[in-house]
Amino acid sequence: MGFRLILYLLVLFVGAFLGYKELLSRNICQRVSKIQMVSLLFLLFVMGVKIGADDRVIGSFMEIGTKALIITVSSILFSILFVKGFRITARKIKSMKKPQGLNNKKESLQ
Amino acid sequence: MTVYIVVAVVIGMIAGHFLIPDTWISSSDFIIDIGLCILLFFVGLDIGKQKTAFQELKELGAGIIFLPVLIAMGSIFGGVVAGLIIGIPINESGAVSAGFGWWTLSAVILAGHSSELSAMAFMSNVLRELIAIITIPFISKYVGDLESIAPSGATAMDTTLPIISNCTNSRTAVVAFISGVILSTFVPILVPFLIGLG
Repeated sequence: MGFRLILYLLVLFVGAFLGYKELLSRNICQRVSKIQMVSLLFLLFVMGVKIGADDRVIGSFMEIGTKALIITVSSILFSILFVKGFRITARKIKSMKKPQGLNNKKESLQ
Repeated sequence: MTVYIVVAVVIGMIAGHFLIPDTWISSSDFIIDIGLCILLFFVGLDIGKQKTAFQELKELGAGIIFLPVLIAMGSIFGGVVAGLIIGIPINESGAVSAGFGWWTLSAVILAGHSSELSAMAFMSNVLRELIAIITIPFISKYVGDLESIAPSGATAMDTTLPIISNCTNSRTAVVAFISGVILSTFVPILVPFLIGLG
């Protein structure tokens, strides 16, 4: 998997570099979105084929869905908690450093 | 676009279940690998083109990067906690949660690993987008503006951006967009990384 990760990163950064430097002509860019959509749909089709061929997955679809829901709810909750927790901590540290009243304006931006 | 995606997956599933012989299925990993590289190249191209996001990032200051990093850490931590609850390896549940709502990419990356995980990533990240759409108005009202960006994850740069913009203010919308771009960049890096930890 290490090799794959490096390959993915390499491809991603080559793409990002070309995109940022605008090295591809506008004509190609317009075609790109179509190629991108077709390759995505094809990949999703192949993914569907793999899932459909796996009787284990088809048989336990509801179970997988329930697990997916638990993962989603938990990761949404913790992502909110992390942001909230960080903001509360940042505010506390700020109010400790500065006298009250002076930092109201900055706090509202935080 | 959403309709096409669902149709492609459903037709694939029907074809895989009834039509395509098992001997062909084994070569699907190879097709997925090649296809994924093509797709990632275009994803990179798209991210590179988000110049407004990079410029706004410079104007708002690098501190903004804390938000997507916190969202990413919280999401993966939540995925790990869920993995412990439902009894699946935490690198797998972590990788599923590192899709940050980008259901197509996370599911396709994990398709090379196992079809079960790929199906789970697909459903989990579709649900993330749906739950984000439903909960953003409440979170922005009762918890806070920046917190309402958290459920969106990577979708904050496109599908859920109008909702965030509606429920909060223009400054939060800009922050949400940048956070979405950064989290989108994290997806193709973190999903293979986390699954590789197992």
